Amino acid sequence: MNSRDLIQLAIRNLLRRKTRTFLAVIGVVVGTCAIIVMLSIGFGLSHNFEEQIASYGNLHLVNVYQGGGYVVGGYSDGKQAILDDKAIAAMERIKGVDAVSPRVEEYLTFGIDKHVASVSVIGMKPEVMQKFGFNLQEGRLLQPGDKYALVFGNQVPVMFYNPRETMYSSWSGEPKVDVITDKIIMTGDWEYGQKRRHGSEGEKINYKEYKAQGVGILANPNDESAYYVYMNIDTLKTIKEDLKRARKEIGPNQQGYQSAMVYVGDINDVQDVSDKIREMGFQTHSLSDWLEAMQDQAKMIQGILGGIGAISLLVAALGITNTMIMSIYERTKEIGIMKVIGANLGDIRRMFLLEAGMIGFLGGLAGVVLSFILSLLMNTVLSDLLSMMFGSIGVGGSTISIIPWWVAVGGLVFATAIGLISGYSPARRAMKLSALESLRNE
Amino acid sequence: MKPLIEVKNVRKIYRMGDEKEIALDDVSLSVHKGEIICLVGASGSGKSTFLNMVAGLEKPTRGEIYIGDIPIHKLNEEKVTLFRQKNIGFIFQAFHLLPMLTAVENVGLPLIFRGVDNKKRHILAKKMLEDVGLSGYEKRKPSQMSGGQQQRVGIARALVGNPKIIFADEPTGNLDSSTSVEVMEIMVKKVRENNQTLLIVTHDPTISEYADRIVTIKDGNILNIEENKRG
Ligand SMILES: Nc1ncnc2c1ncn2[C@@H]1O[C@H](COP(=O)(O)OP(=O)(O)OP(=O)(O)O)[C@@H](O)[C@H]1O
Ligand SMILES: [Mg+2]
Repeated sequence: MNSRDLIQLAIRNLLRRKTRTFLAVIGVVVGTCAIIVMLSIGFGLSHNFEEQIASYGNLHLVNVYQGGGYVVGGYSDGKQAILDDKAIAAMERIKGVDAVSPRVEEYLTFGIDKHVASVSVIGMKPEVMQKFGFNLQEGRLLQPGDKYALVFGNQVPVMFYNPRETMYSSWSGEPKVDVITDKIIMTGDWEYGQKRRHGSEGEKINYKEYKAQGVGILANPNDESAYYVYMNIDTLKTIKEDLKRARKEIGPNQQGYQSAMVYVGDINDVQDVSDKIREMGFQTHSLSDWLEAMQDQAKMIQGILGGIGAISLLVAALGITNTMIMSIYERTKEIGIMKVIGANLGDIRRMFLLEAGMIGFLGGLAGVVLSFILSLLMNTVLSDLLSMMFGSIGVGGSTISIIPWWVAVGGLVFATAIGLISGYSPARRAMKLSALESLRNE
Repeated sequence: MKPLIEVKNVRKIYRMGDEKEIALDDVSLSVHKGEIICLVGASGSGKSTFLNMVAGLEKPTRGEIYIGDIPIHKLNEEKVTLFRQKNIGFIFQAFHLLPMLTAVENVGLPLIFRGVDNKKRHILAKKMLEDVGLSGYEKRKPSQMSGGQQQRVGIARALVGNPKIIFADEPTGNLDSSTSVEVMEIMVKKVRENNQTLLIVTHDPTISEYADRIVTIKDGNILNIEENKRG
């Protein structure tokens, strides 16, 4: 029996009992829809969490600190792991890590003409900055060979103010300076550019002033990078040493770097990478730690919702089985005739399996379409309604339901599979019917 | 010449709980290619049982059945179905057409199971309907035809695959006498044309006129075999 005839015959048989077929299909539609919509709410939740956390910073980033931990499995001398170039190189070799840079931080003041701003400056390796996933609004990132080149966080230009006119940074509005074209002076003196020096006690510190050049402005106005200035780590180290000397600070020379930044290309690898780094004896911190916890929660909610959906699909499966069994009772004689005039056993089974599979497939298809419609409604009408009732809560909370393509495809496949599984035992039963006894059945 | 069908000492016992029903006692029969055999006998004598056994629809309790060189009694259901599909046509007393299919589709049904494609099937089925005198009735559903017409569709269905052997269990049992003659004429004509072998079960003495040999069965045994001497 060729497949075209098989399909045609199945369709005709389904159309013979339109109401019954329709009801069985409806069951699958409801079941599929329930599962997909329930799951989609879970995806929406998890998406909102992710969006919310991403707005606090870069999810790809793992910050590594020296101290705290000790080398796991090391001998009990308790020697602290040192964050040096060797350790950095080792981190670079961890699977999933795209780039690693040591990190030095110093609070410096920038002066452009009459305007000043005091900002934390992060020193990093210019050659790896490209790999850290920074997006630019203007200019370029740091490049090898850059010394006093500065990349500004998105919000930093706004912070420049004229200390002779106001007391503080404005934090908003249009920037009064152009950090890329204007000449920049950089210094450790926090009171640079102000009329009177408050700190009159003690001796006057002779701060060095460095000429610097802005080369780029980052694009993201929300994450933590927005309030930093980035420059070559070696240059910043020199500046730090100059400052130390100028301020006459004494202290032990720290071994290695204080911290490092690790960029992980795939967010899903962040946890593994963090674990490996902790095994090396360092402390880590990443927003993903948080995200993980929240997503676990989202998954749990999704699991519960999906379970509720699954129950309705189970009911639909019973509906299909029932429909098929009824259909076999009705068609017992027919099955007998077909067997006597030469239907292969396999053909009989395939015929009934196909009918059940079609019910599943059709129901699944309609269910997927309906799910998308419901999802759309939830994201527009329901979302508006909710924000009207509760006001807009949190960030990016407008997406209630998300249906990834693989869930839609999976739903369709699942519904079809449910049909086939439900039809399996009835089809077997049809196949096993004795031809003669079926014929006597009137 | 070696017979086409060889039935050797076949016995069939039905068991229902403690009860035993000996439907066939000890039956042996050889049928040659091209023969038309009529099975007659009282109701419950075992005619249908015999036919079903030879067609592989039931297994004998004892004994052997060969068609050609194939031991029908040994084949499993899968194999016997396949054998039936290729070699055997069946005509029923109650016609047994599929109600949802048109005449031409009913006739083409055995070909569907052989995997013959739609176009070829339609041509063959249509030709066969013509041969049984039903051109113009292709699109009719069984419910829209008389008993005689339905049985002609049944004959066309049995013959369309050009099987070696045709079994007919009281093919005229539901028809009046003039229609019975009509149907028999068509059936016998077609079978003779293609040198096919036909086994008919009947109560009707006029039907047995068409046979080469008439086998009378009584209480599960062959009572006698009568050659029909028409010349
Ligand atoms: N499936 C079965 N289970 C039990 N007994 C059966 C079964 N089929 C047939 N019999 C019995 O076997 C005997 C022969 O039956 P069979 O159907 O072969 O008779 P028949 O000659 O065809 O009769 P009729 O002319 O009435 O059709 C009968 O006594 C019948 O009751
Ligand atoms: Mg009978």
